[in-house]
Amino acid sequence: MRTALYGSKMADTASGGSGTRSGSKHATTPADNYYLARRRTLQVVVSSLLTEAGFESAEKAAVETLTEMLQSYISEIGRSAKSYCEHTARTQPTLSDIVVTLVEMGFNVETLPAYAKRSQRMVITAPPVTNQPVTPKALTAGQNKPHPSHIPGHFPEFPDPHTYIKTPTYREPVSDYQVLREKAASQRRDVERALTRFMAKTGETQSLFKDDVSTFPLIAARPFTVPYLTALLPSELEMQQMEETDSSEQDDQTDTENLPLHMSTDDSGPEKENASVLQQNTSLSGSRNGEENVIDNPYLRPVKKPKIRRKK
Amino acid sequence: SPVSLVLLFRMNRKKGDKGFESPRPTTHQVVCINNINFQRKSVVGYVELTIFPTVANLNRIKLNSKQCRIYRVRVNDLEAAFIYNDPTLEVCHHESKQRNLNYFSNAYAAAVSAVDPDAGNGELCIKVPSELWKHVDELKVLKVHINFSLDQPKGGLHFVVPNMEGSMAERGAHVFSCGYQNSTRFWFPCVDSYSELCTWKLEYTVDAAMVAVSNGDLVETVYTHDMRKKTFHYMLTIPTAASNISLAIGPFEILVDPYMHEVTHFCLPQLLPLLKHTTSYLHEVFEFYEEILTCRYPYSCFKTVFIDEAYVEVAAYASMSIFSTNLLHSAMIIDETPLTRRCLAQALAQQFFGCFISRMSWSDEWVLKGISGYIYGLWMKKTFGVNEYRHWIKQELDQIVAYELKTGGVLLHPIFGGGKEKDNPASHLHFSIKHPHTLSWEYYTMFQCKAHLVMRLIENRISMEFMLQVFNKLLSLASTASSQKFQSHMWSQMLVSTSGFLKSISNVSGKDIQPLIKQWVDQSGVVKFYGSFAFNRKRNVLELEIKQDYTSPGTQKYVGPLKVTVQELDGSFNHTLQIEENSLKHDIPCHSKSRSLEMFADSPLLWIRIDPDMSVLRKVEFEQSDFMWQYQLRYERDVVAQEEAILALEKFPTPASRLALTDILEQEQCFYRVRMLACFCLAKIANSMVSTWTGPPAMKSLFTRMFCCKTCPNIVKTNNFMNFQSYFLQKTMPVAMALLRDVHNLCPKEVLMFILDLIKYNDNRKNKFSDNYYRAELIDALANSVTPAVSVNNEVRTLDNLNPDVRLILEEITRFLNMEKLLPSYRHTITVSCLKAIRVLQKNGHVPSDPALFKSYAEYGHFIDVRIAALEAVVDYTKGTFFKYFDTL
Repeated sequence: MRTALYGSKMADTASGGSGTRSGSKHATTPADNYYLARRRTLQVVVSSLLTEAGFESAEKAAVETLTEMLQSYISEIGRSAKSYCEHTARTQPTLSDIVVTLVEMGFNVETLPAYAKRSQRMVITAPPVTNQPVTPKALTAGQNKPHPSHIPGHFPEFPDPHTYIKTPTYREPVSDYQVLREKAASQRRDVERALTRFMAKTGETQSLFKDDVSTFPLIAARPFTVPYLTALLPSELEMQQMEETDSSEQDDQTDTENLPLHMSTDDSGPEKENASVLQQNTSLSGSRNGEENVIDNPYLRPVKKPKIRRKK
Repeated sequence: SPVSLVLLFRMNRKKGDKGFESPRPTTHQVVCINNINFQRKSVVGYVELTIFPTVANLNRIKLNSKQCRIYRVRVNDLEAAFIYNDPTLEVCHHESKQRNLNYFSNAYAAAVSAVDPDAGNGELCIKVPSELWKHVDELKVLKVHINFSLDQPKGGLHFVVPNMEGSMAERGAHVFSCGYQNSTRFWFPCVDSYSELCTWKLEYTVDAAMVAVSNGDLVETVYTHDMRKKTFHYMLTIPTAASNISLAIGPFEILVDPYMHEVTHFCLPQLLPLLKHTTSYLHEVFEFYEEILTCRYPYSCFKTVFIDEAYVEVAAYASMSIFSTNLLHSAMIIDETPLTRRCLAQALAQQFFGCFISRMSWSDEWVLKGISGYIYGLWMKKTFGVNEYRHWIKQELDQIVAYELKTGGVLLHPIFGGGKEKDNPASHLHFSIKHPHTLSWEYYTMFQCKAHLVMRLIENRISMEFMLQVFNKLLSLASTASSQKFQSHMWSQMLVSTSGFLKSISNVSGKDIQPLIKQWVDQSGVVKFYGSFAFNRKRNVLELEIKQDYTSPGTQKYVGPLKVTVQELDGSFNHTLQIEENSLKHDIPCHSKSRSLEMFADSPLLWIRIDPDMSVLRKVEFEQSDFMWQYQLRYERDVVAQEEAILALEKFPTPASRLALTDILEQEQCFYRVRMLACFCLAKIANSMVSTWTGPPAMKSLFTRMFCCKTCPNIVKTNNFMNFQSYFLQKTMPVAMALLRDVHNLCPKEVLMFILDLIKYNDNRKNKFSDNYYRAELIDALANSVTPAVSVNNEVRTLDNLNPDVRLILEEITRFLNMEKLLPSYRHTITVSCLKAIRVLQKNGHVPSDPALFKSYAEYGHFIDVRIAALEAVVDYTKGTFFKYFDTL
């Protein structure tokens, strides 16, 4: 009867309690196997304790609950002990950590040796652990360095060398001017060609050869409604470029007759100053202008309301 | 139309009116346009002329009006009968049998004369109501009120209405007055003459989202009662000719000039940033003119309007100028900047002479064009430097000389006799020069060119100081007159005449310039000199022979002083020769003693220049040996002399010429235009020397040294156009190099590859300026490298038999032309160059000749430069097939 009970318990836990997942799927992973083995051992423990206490039979749910409680309790001891051990800057819990933990959990430690040696206790053989969970092996790269003499042995090992070792690359980064220019040029050309070919493929085209429309496809000429806008306004790309190339000198850069002079003097410092002064001046007069506009320029005056004429 | 035909006959029989003395001087005119319909391109309005009769029994008033529909005419509130007849609508009558240019030209001149306002004529003849005859006899004021409308005008007023969604303002629709010479009659009835001045009140009612820009002061802007429109009221109190009245209406963006608040700039929507940059320079032009003329700008305000589809790039009117919107540019554009500034300066010069000061008659036009062109030249000299100025003068001189030698003379001051055929001073031309409207456009362009050159000749004679004093005198007289009332009869001081101008010159300078005027103003033609020399070693004398050709059309005989500069070993010596009828030879003593003459080929003369100051309107063909031209190129500092030397060296393909040109090319102090010219000469010389040429192709190593990377000479540096001289040279050199030919008369592969590499490695990312002109010229260079295809049995051009070099070129052109669709360049310069290059490939038989592509680019809706390039290609194609057709016959 007892075995039957265990058997049914096992089947039940195997189906995961929730009963929604299929067991076959579970059994396949090593972690699940390990979990099941542990659980089984705990159940055996709980059952033997129950027997020890004089129970003849137990309901499935009761055993399950007790197993759960035991597992929680042991887990808590482990978690707590680990905390205490880490608190004192160690990695391995010592006996005292366990003792403190048990005390903290309200367990009378004194009673433990007696309990352990009680006569009616049942000895359970260690469950055969099948399918030890495979801890995924970290990729080891090179030999880990041993601790130098001044580092105590309990300190963690050095990590893999690749995580901290600087490896100089012997191929020079592509900084060679010629290669760079070559690369930039061919890249741009490729992009342009691909883009224009795409545009030509997807739209209407014109051709220079009657027998061939694909070798030199020309995007068809399309008239604009307002042709001067595209012809005069800088393209977005150019606008961007204009912003990127030094905006501080922007002001009087097209001064045709002065520029060569600008060029001949290497020191551009004072000129820049001049330019900024000039900018200030214009902005000043601009703002002054703003104030006087209403008076000054007839085109900025408000439009008058019509005079109301009396009807005759 | 049949109606006008009938009217014409009636007019012919009633030649009653005597004109000339202007029987109907107008003192004030109101122009009111109260409705403008952009959809229908129509205008409705009225004009009111205040007329002071000067003669009794004035019973007819003749006014100018073209294409206007006149509804109603009232004189002093009385209905008046009127006849409207425009004889130019049907110049030759249908039934006439003569069909030749001469007949047409005469008939056209007669038609224009028949409505000439300066002769008191006009298309519109108004009968003064008999009730007012007594009133007229007492010489009392008449007010003539005319209601008119205008539908789809063919000239004078141009509507631009983009075909798209949205309101007219959103579409950027606009309208502006335009035309050649006096063409105000196209948009309202007036006395359309430059010599009849009056004050003006101008009113325009336009959509509330639009602005009306016109002459004079904007007095007020008032909403209409429904608040959907507004009326712009302008007053022009300075007496102004109707022909100087203008108008521009559109949804303009408004920019008050930050330096001069009286100046307002207008442009079409979205272009404001360009407008700001473009006009930021204008105040300097103002300052320059006011300073040299010691006279303030005559009007109280100035307006510039930039519009699309402009008739001409620059049009000057009283207190405003209308410009092509295509003159606008951003700070990134180099090439357009000086051109646009020149246009602005030209427009402003004409404000003083042309608008404020008008002309007495058509034959005085040269004075106005001359003075405005002359002071514009002074501005050029100050702004761009003496080199640029002299280069420009030489260019203008070459142009007028070439034109006159080709078509016959240009006469600045024609005097017309009885109007008989034999008295015609321009019988060599196929058109009459009696009226501005009968001239050819080209003739008029050359006329303006000659006028300012002659002003410069006068300056040479009387000095610039006196010249400016004369201008100042004209302006101050006009200025005083302009503030007077009409009744004071002072307004004629605002009109310039040839005789008045000459009198002023003689008063101010005390010099007699009559011979000069007689030579260049009262008669047409230019002088053609042939010069050669021999050095007489025994006498140490230079024997100079100067011949003239004065029998060919367009030439005239020159008698008078002529400056000759002789550069000797010991220095430069000026000699003034007297050119007389019979003396051809002139002995000029040399200063340098003949020492160590062996090295200078028996002569101490380095070079000789005839008329170095361009004080005669002439062409000089002078013979001197190649080493003298080389010296002249290397050591003469005048850019004109350098350019002449370069052109002469084309005929001397020797290593010494090559060296002289290369040295000039490398000299950074040398004027950039001279260096550019040297590039093309070097290419020609290299081609002539092809069998003996050593070293890399001409200019290649120089270009590499100047513009390529030190470490990798096949890669051009990333663009930096800060130094404009280098920039222009960098643009020009590849174009010239592509003209090089090897012994097989092909462009060397090395050169083509070089240009293709320039295109490939072109990198403008770090540049402050746009490279659109540079890239366009690289395409021009590709086109220049193309040579005629070797054709076997007239095979049809297909891809399979395409020359591999041409394939590479086509690859680039395709990519460039397609990229233009995605990232269009300024003024589509690259499209223009691509179209030209494609035509070159067609013409040379590499690509089938086909105008279809060009026709599509010539359509309305493409940018004007693209359309012109496309049309030129179509014309070229047509010419080609035309001649081919004749060849087959």
